[in-house]
Amino acid sequence: MTVGQITVRDVSKRFRLERNRPSSLKEALLRARRRRDVDDFWVLRGIDFDIEPGSFFGLIGHNGSGKSTLLRLMANIHRPTMGEISTEGRMSALLELGSGFHPDLTGRENVYLNGAMLGLSRRHMHEAMDEIIEFSGIGEFIDEPVKIYSSGMYVRLGFAVSVNVDPEILLVDEVIAVGDEEFQLRCMDHMNQLRDKGCTIVLVSHNAALMESLCDTVAWLDHGRVLEIGEPTPVLRKYLDHMRGGGDTTLTTRD
Amino acid sequence: MLTLSPAARKSANLIYHFAQRESKARYKRSLLGWFWSFANPLTTVAVYSFVFGVVYRATPPATENGNAENFGLFLFTGLISWSLFVGIINGCMGWLQGVSDLRKKIYFPTETALLGGAASNAVQTSLEALVLVVIMVVLSNISWTVLFLFVALILTMAFGLGIGFIAAIMNARYRDILYLVGVLLNVGFFLVPIVYPLSLVPDEKWGLPVRTLVEWNPPALFVGIARDGVYFLQVPSLSRLAAATAWAGVTFTIGWVYFRARSMEISEEP
Repeated sequence: MTVGQITVRDVSKRFRLERNRPSSLKEALLRARRRRDVDDFWVLRGIDFDIEPGSFFGLIGHNGSGKSTLLRLMANIHRPTMGEISTEGRMSALLELGSGFHPDLTGRENVYLNGAMLGLSRRHMHEAMDEIIEFSGIGEFIDEPVKIYSSGMYVRLGFAVSVNVDPEILLVDEVIAVGDEEFQLRCMDHMNQLRDKGCTIVLVSHNAALMESLCDTVAWLDHGRVLEIGEPTPVLRKYLDHMRGGGDTTLTTRD
Repeated sequence: MLTLSPAARKSANLIYHFAQRESKARYKRSLLGWFWSFANPLTTVAVYSFVFGVVYRATPPATENGNAENFGLFLFTGLISWSLFVGIINGCMGWLQGVSDLRKKIYFPTETALLGGAASNAVQTSLEALVLVVIMVVLSNISWTVLFLFVALILTMAFGLGIGFIAAIMNARYRDILYLVGVLLNVGFFLVPIVYPLSLVPDEKWGLPVRTLVEWNPPALFVGIARDGVYFLQVPSLSRLAAATAWAGVTFTIGWVYFRARSMEISEEP
């Protein structure tokens, strides 16, 4: 495998919802012989595709389609129930507000912790620190515990860390929607720079116009399956048609 | 360090981070900080010496040269190993719980949080051991066998981690494990010859070989090795060393394998 590649092979993910799940040992023992109420919920079924190194890949789909779960599987947060996902290269993920931040630690300590999780040395993070503080615009709050941060500050610091650790794969889950206009523009700019450096980027979003302007390939997920995958314009057109119940659609295209 | 693979270096980095965090958190917002690391064991020795030596007039087992016959010191040698054991098991459950929210948002090898916490405990215990060794030097009850104190502590740590790994995973599912383990450890404290010498335990009672059972209980083996080394100044018997090493090695391996097999599920616990 080459650096920056992601392969998704026949991946399915099941979440178990246990109703009346025993929450204590006593309950578990008392009910050991009774049949448990287990609801199997297949979030993803038979997902199979490759993401080429250096490409910008978009995942679109309505709420509950499984796109965030797929991103979490790529980030190795969960293990697929069936199939296999492999990634090659240093991966940085922005999955939700304050992803990867420990609320009690200061911004600075969290930057070091994040670096350690990505496999970067303290010295490397030390060198990147000024740039991270600069990019996030957090200022003196960097030495305050992140639990007092506003949601915008969380996202800005998270994004600043993610892009400044020199990732080879970047996973982004729509979080950039939280920052203000100016910050969003800077993020776009930075993602483009990363792409120019050969970083593979996977973006999950509802925003078809944004996806079209950024992505090389888009996959449309629906009820845990890939409905369409390929060039952004035709896939997004079908997606929008579907969302509007087959009505006329106009896309802002970039030509 | 240069020969470490990237994955191992990443883990080492994280272990260091978690160890540092645990150590910092221990004396956070305390004025005297590390001073407490020395104050605790010193007061323990003083209090135990008073209660058992003065009030109960217990005679401690004879040391080699009779210089350190002090019940407080006898107790303290046992207590060092036992409190490391308890600290690691309880710690493992707390450390895993402490990072479980984080683990739902970002991948990292969870065992690093437990190993880091254990490393921080090891530093703390080493300081206590140092206090003990200094006292023994002052009382001129010292020999090269003091090294066995550290052998005992390393074995205790491996054994405690093995149990801690399993307890932590089970505790993620059922929070009663924390309380259950607390109760078992309270009982365990009195089943291990810490507050009493092994010689006081009857050979047989209720048709059970009580002394043998107490003697070969793994935590008692670690306590025994620590005492041999720093109190009696003798080399522990080979059978005791072998049994302790086997217990530590096997328990650690089982715990490690179990933890590695189940730790990916932590992110799916509600």
